[in-house]
Amino acid sequence: MPDALYLSTAIGLPYLGALVTALLPANARRLESWLAGAVALLTLTMVWLCYYPTIAEGGVVRAEIAWVPQLGLNLVLRLDGLASVFAVMVAGIGLLVVLYARYYMSSDDPIPRFFAFLLAFMGSMMGLVLSGNLIQLVFFWELTSLFSFLLIGYWQHSAQARDGARMALTVTASGGLALLAGVLLLGHIVGSYDLDRVLASGDVIRAHPLYLPALVLVLLGALTKSAQFPFHFWLPHAMAAPTPVSAYLHSATLVKAGIFLMARLWPVMAGTDAWFWILGSAGMITLLLGAYVAIFQHDMKGLLAYSTISHLGLITVLLSLNSPLAMVAAIFHTMNHATFKASLFMAAGIIDHETGTRDIRRLSGLNATMPFTARLAMVAAAAMAGVPLLNGFISKEMFITETLSASTAPTLLHSLLPLGAALASIFAVAYSLRFIHGAFFGPTTGDMPHTPHEPPQWMRLPVEVLVFGCMVVGILPAATIGPFLDVAVRSVLGEATPYYSLAVWHGFNLPLVMSLIALAGGALLYRLLQRHLNAGIDGTPLLRRLDGRRLFDRVMVFLSWRFARTLERLLGTSRLQTQLRLMVCVTILAAVLALAPHDFGLGVLQLSPADPVIGLVWLAGSLCALAAAYQAKYHRLAALVLLGGAGLAVCITFVWFSAPDLAVTQLLVEVVTTVLLLLGLRWMPKRLELAGSGRLLSRLRRYRDFAIALGAGLGLTAISYATMTRVSPEGISRFFLERAYTEGGGTNVVNVILVDFRGFDTFGEITVLCIVALTVFALLRRFRPAPESIGVPDQQQGDVRNWMMVPAVTMKLLFPLIGVVAVYLLLRGHDLPGGGFAGGLMLAIAILLQYMAGGTRWVEDHLRVHPLRWMSAGLLLAGGTGLAAMAFGQPFLTSYFAYADLGWLGKLPVASALIFDIGVFALVFGATVLMLIAIAHQSVRSQRAAPTPPPAPQEER
Amino acid sequence: MNWTLVLPELVLALAGLAALVAGVLPKRDTSFAINMGVFGAMLLAAVLVMAQPEGTAFAGQYVSDAFTRFMKLLVLAGAALGLLVAMDWNVKEGLAKFEFPLLLLFSSLGMMVMVSANDLIALYLGLELLSLSLYVIAAFNRDSERSAEAGLKYFILGSLASGLLLYGASLIYGFAGSTNFDRIADAVSATEGVPFGLVVGLVFVLAALAFKVSAVPFHMWTPDVYEGAPTPVTAFFASAPKVAAIALLTRVAAGPFGELVEQWQQVLILASLGSMILGALAAIGQKNIKRLMAYSSIGHIGYALMGLAVGSDLGIRGLLLYMAIYLFTNVGAFAVLVAMRRNGRALEGIDDLAGLGRTDPAMALAMTVFMLSMAGIPPLAGFFGKLYVFLAAVYGGYWTLAVVGVLTSAVSAYYYLRVIKVMYFDAGEALDARPTSLSVVLAGTGLFTVFFFAFPAPFLAAAQAAVAALVG
Repeated sequence: MPDALYLSTAIGLPYLGALVTALLPANARRLESWLAGAVALLTLTMVWLCYYPTIAEGGVVRAEIAWVPQLGLNLVLRLDGLASVFAVMVAGIGLLVVLYARYYMSSDDPIPRFFAFLLAFMGSMMGLVLSGNLIQLVFFWELTSLFSFLLIGYWQHSAQARDGARMALTVTASGGLALLAGVLLLGHIVGSYDLDRVLASGDVIRAHPLYLPALVLVLLGALTKSAQFPFHFWLPHAMAAPTPVSAYLHSATLVKAGIFLMARLWPVMAGTDAWFWILGSAGMITLLLGAYVAIFQHDMKGLLAYSTISHLGLITVLLSLNSPLAMVAAIFHTMNHATFKASLFMAAGIIDHETGTRDIRRLSGLNATMPFTARLAMVAAAAMAGVPLLNGFISKEMFITETLSASTAPTLLHSLLPLGAALASIFAVAYSLRFIHGAFFGPTTGDMPHTPHEPPQWMRLPVEVLVFGCMVVGILPAATIGPFLDVAVRSVLGEATPYYSLAVWHGFNLPLVMSLIALAGGALLYRLLQRHLNAGIDGTPLLRRLDGRRLFDRVMVFLSWRFARTLERLLGTSRLQTQLRLMVCVTILAAVLALAPHDFGLGVLQLSPADPVIGLVWLAGSLCALAAAYQAKYHRLAALVLLGGAGLAVCITFVWFSAPDLAVTQLLVEVVTTVLLLLGLRWMPKRLELAGSGRLLSRLRRYRDFAIALGAGLGLTAISYATMTRVSPEGISRFFLERAYTEGGGTNVVNVILVDFRGFDTFGEITVLCIVALTVFALLRRFRPAPESIGVPDQQQGDVRNWMMVPAVTMKLLFPLIGVVAVYLLLRGHDLPGGGFAGGLMLAIAILLQYMAGGTRWVEDHLRVHPLRWMSAGLLLAGGTGLAAMAFGQPFLTSYFAYADLGWLGKLPVASALIFDIGVFALVFGATVLMLIAIAHQSVRSQRAAPTPPPAPQEER
Repeated sequence: MNWTLVLPELVLALAGLAALVAGVLPKRDTSFAINMGVFGAMLLAAVLVMAQPEGTAFAGQYVSDAFTRFMKLLVLAGAALGLLVAMDWNVKEGLAKFEFPLLLLFSSLGMMVMVSANDLIALYLGLELLSLSLYVIAAFNRDSERSAEAGLKYFILGSLASGLLLYGASLIYGFAGSTNFDRIADAVSATEGVPFGLVVGLVFVLAALAFKVSAVPFHMWTPDVYEGAPTPVTAFFASAPKVAAIALLTRVAAGPFGELVEQWQQVLILASLGSMILGALAAIGQKNIKRLMAYSSIGHIGYALMGLAVGSDLGIRGLLLYMAIYLFTNVGAFAVLVAMRRNGRALEGIDDLAGLGRTDPAMALAMTVFMLSMAGIPPLAGFFGKLYVFLAAVYGGYWTLAVVGVLTSAVSAYYYLRVIKVMYFDAGEALDARPTSLSVVLAGTGLFTVFFFAFPAPFLAAAQAAVAALVG
């Protein structure tokens, strides 16, 4: 079990350290660096403890920690040869960087934040390489992006740092999400996210139809992280970070995460043409482009950044070759690159720190002023250029050998490989020369911000350690790095590990010749370019237009402005009409699609023959409805009257199909609503005529809306038709029909349902009606009419006393008659069409007529209706009936019925439901009248409010 | 009749009536007391929900199980947090009226009825109680033209959607012969083939519910209403009602129509794809942060619907977790929006956040956490929400959904990052001091978002139990 402890400590410790560091006070610089250094050292020790003896013998250390057991997601930590190489780089170089940063960071910088981020990044990186589960790997992958964002943007005050950080995060985090998609696909193919299972299923993965999408997505993640073409542009801009960060993230660790992933999945995903073409072309372009651009950089860190891009391209090319020997070279070069590039970054940092500038054009003659640093940098740069007896030479020679042996394959890219390798080597020599020659040789000038001098001894130590590594590995490769490389290679290739020789001297062969030619060619190229470089022109010749940053910015601007705007204009609208239209259209479409597969033939039912009379009624009704819709916008009064016509047609239909109850109710409701609406029309604001709206266009719009309405109507008709021509399942109507008389004591089934079977519903409904009436009343009390409708309308100007005389008298005379009919309707309701609802409406209509005939003041002088009393009495009566039943031990609203003997008048069926119905009657009457009064008083009030009628009142439309 | 089963709803309803009286009768301003009372009632209801036994009541119209418990707790948490976020704002904007907490309370009641609905009529009852409260509350700032317009628009479109729902429900009733979900399920499995009435009815019901969760193509109202409504109202809109509507959608799709999975799956897949894509792309160009959050919420609904569209237990579990995480992250983000106020004036532009990293580092950090979580960047909670639905999609073989989901997350990460960039990298003036209630909400939701990864097990277990109860 100690292995599990070691591994979890290796991940957990840096995070813990980060947390502690973040909490330390800002001035505890010394303590913080000690702490960070101790954490890095301990982490390194943990890896070391796992390494011996298991991994050194080719084994794998594995530990599982329960995390989300329900999902089978455990924290799987897995350390093998490849992972340990990366883990040692992360922890080891991390240790050196901490030491270096201790001296590099200025006392003005917030140190706790720096070390906290750095340690957290270290933990994420450890988590990434130690992941034994793909999802977990992506998790830590995104964490590294996040912490690198924070580290690059560490100097928040600098715009360059902010932009660089944002660009790095945008590119790498998006790549990480692509990787997540790819990993999900991989997991789907394999059936598990466990790395061991995935690594064992290479054949399944390569043969799967989803191989290509998975590959593309995974490589998108890897290439963005490793700054490969065309995603390379973020790395140079990330150089705005403090130099220790660049040395750590952008040479040794972060950018190697992509390489790590490709190497990790190499056994299962490589070996196909797609792998070669994608990686080969991306790597080759990156290799050449990076090296070429590096020559023309004036900023030391910029030069190193492009050189890093180029070297990463080299490793990518090696990985793409699908050959085990190339794999060996790739891992080897990864290690070598980390050592010499980190030391070069640190050296550049020292120069920057001691002279105040990194511009090669301004630097000169440092060999004299800081001789020790200069020697170190020169050795490291020589390793970068591939000078013999240094580590870079060995792995570069392996690279050239591999390209030569791969060039026998038939494709163009294969045969171009050696050429590209040679060219890139020449460029590499040229930029290495530039780095050394530009900074360290030449006359000693006083042109620099500070007077250059050697750095403190401890700041130089990390560089010395790394450069010492370069030299030892370069001279005695097999004795020093050999065993580790072997373990790493075996952990990837297993049985397929080829024979390879780590030696400086392989005889006088073609690769050696090419290396020598590259050295000479590079020197020559640098000599030729001397004049151009001295001129100090910014930018890269020939490639001036190819600026990744500008492209990135342009894409971002396009995405965030033009594209986004267009999209919103096309897809979004804040116009209500459009939104309604869309909603209706989509619903129609969905319903059509749902209906389409079904046939519309008749069910088992037979159609009854069509009757011409009802047909005509319906024709009239539909025409009325159509015309009402047409007039709704132009002539409200006409539309309302036409709507009444449509309602009448419905009413007649009810009569036709022998539903007198419905017909009566419909008729009364129709009358009341139409009249109330007519009264309300008076207060509507005038229609707004928009000038300049194109005649033809608006007409077309109306036709389109008409078509939509027609479509919706036809659709509903179709659904109704289909529904009614099929037998519906047994409903509840039979139940009511059979029991209306026996249990409810009434022969009018509709009324019995209303007051008895579903009495509780009715009770709820009348309560709602009550609330509605009160709400209308409350709303109209505060109603502020449009200014143009305040004045007295034309029709009421002058003497109106004898206006509509004959109808008025008739209406007044009708009042008692209508009242009697209303009571009659109420009383007979239980057995014959009628009932409380209809009766109440009827009585309300009687009052309505009086208001219309005599005007508000006349009616209220003669007759005082107290709607609130009517309503409350009705509600109490209805509720009391229900409670009375409870008093007799029956459930709420149970009804009782009997026949009352009225002597010579005969027998009157009396049910307790009648009392309930009277309640309904009173309430409906009260509510309707309350609304009427609210509207009627409106004109009394506002005419009082308007002092003088406007001179020319507009015609009410 | 099992009265004790509906105790949480009963408590809320009675508390609402009592608060109504307490608001109307006294002559002095009682809004603060009512706010607190409503808050307490919600907490009490939440406790009662936790203790609620399982079973059905009201002749099978009301159901209580692990699923309803999970969803009701989320809804109550969302509503309570929404109230907390709104209190200080309302005072500052002169909107501190006692009706506000009451409307929140009644909408919560509606949502709880929706979640527990096992019958088309109960469903409609809950939905309308919620919707009517929302219409009013969207226009709560009556003197603001934008607020009034938002309320009116929402009302008109919402009533159209309600009409569609009713029409669909009546078709379903006509063909199934019952409004009870269990009977409808029986009818669905009893009939040979698929009766057209049920399918068409289902389409209408789904369209209406898609409107309520603002999934594409019924999303149009969202940006307008979110922008127009007062900010705390928007915060509420984007949290609890979404959860309740998703719960309802899940219950309807997986419950009575579970056997018609092929019929509704296509619709949901399209809605999910459309919502994800639109949410990612349309948000990019926004300058108003409330509009941005509106499009972001459309996108999130797309991810959540992915879980349902997959049609598996795993997917529904992912959906439940997604909604839980979304709720807290979203409330947190809106708490920041509510705190955006300078010299007493409320602000809504993304640029108004500039310089927050320096002027108020704690709030900037919280907002960063919420934005990164919404972008789905580990180790924050949002990553796990996405992970679970993506996993479900991949296990079910719907890899188009998963891949589109991941790609749209990458796109949406862009605009979330932009907010972070503005906060830390642009210069701006300080905002007014933020009230304590907002700090509490920010701290709570922020800690949840950050530390979810350490303790996902209880949430997963609860979601698992909820799925088991739903699918049986």
